[in-house]
Amino acid sequence: MADSAAEARIDQSLVARVLLGNDRRAFEQLVRRYQGMVRAQLRRLLHGDEAAADDLAQEAFLLAWRKLDQFRGEAKFSTWLYRIAYSCFLQACRKRPWSVGDADEEEVEQLPEPSHAVNLQLDFERAMRQLSAAEQTVLLHCVQLGLSHEEAAFVLAMPLGTVKTHATRGKAKLKAWLAVWNETATEERTS
Amino acid sequence: MSHQHDDEIEALLRKQFDGSVANEGFSERVMQRLPPRRRRMAWPMWTGVVAGTGACWLSLLSTQLLHVGWRDWMGGELSPPAITLLLVIAGMSLLASCWGVTEADDR
Repeated sequence: MADSAAEARIDQSLVARVLLGNDRRAFEQLVRRYQGMVRAQLRRLLHGDEAAADDLAQEAFLLAWRKLDQFRGEAKFSTWLYRIAYSCFLQACRKRPWSVGDADEEEVEQLPEPSHAVNLQLDFERAMRQLSAAEQTVLLHCVQLGLSHEEAAFVLAMPLGTVKTHATRGKAKLKAWLAVWNETATEERTS
Repeated sequence: MSHQHDDEIEALLRKQFDGSVANEGFSERVMQRLPPRRRRMAWPMWTGVVAGTGACWLSLLSTQLLHVGWRDWMGGELSPPAITLLLVIAGMSLLASCWGVTEADDR
């Protein structure tokens, strides 16, 4: 908590140095601090397309540079950046729809049962891709990027209730899938 | 049980996430592409402030209340026009302070 407050103060002072003193090195520090997580966010959203993710991340940082005077410190700087990156991703999807290969919003209530329990991590990856795009996106932000529900709602421009619903539904589907996977793995071990 | 499963799912999700990406020249590439920063021009705001103050002053100049209030205030007499004038000044100061505090909070 104290760490996060200290981090926020560092970000605020770097932003102030850019705005008041046109300090490019301060902005470079901000880029260095957050490029890793913004690129990781975009790589997940683009299902591992690293080149496209890096192009979008670059676009997001250029946009952040232009719009920096609109950052008023109501959210954390990282959260503000994630929001810009996510809106760049949505715009890019409108221009060039990525073949995300995920399930429709209401189509899959339960994930397909695993036929063979080979490798939990690999099978889990496949199961994740069967979730709806919204569930995957919410789980990425809430669990993998470690944002709170409120922060994820800000980044994704979604109502808080919708974020909570997607998180609960996504986890419930994965939980049910995991239970079946565990059973299959046990059966295969005993047979 | 359910909580334990939740933890298990979250652990699997975190394990599946590769985490922060190494810089590998990315920041340098971004910095090379940064356009020069355009300074926000201050003159439109100050022109507005001067024009607004001027217009306000001109419209108040012809009102009797301002003259009488000012004269009574300077004469040390707390007449209704002087009190009105004082209240208006106090109200404007309060608004300016509130605005200042809000702006300071945002930064």
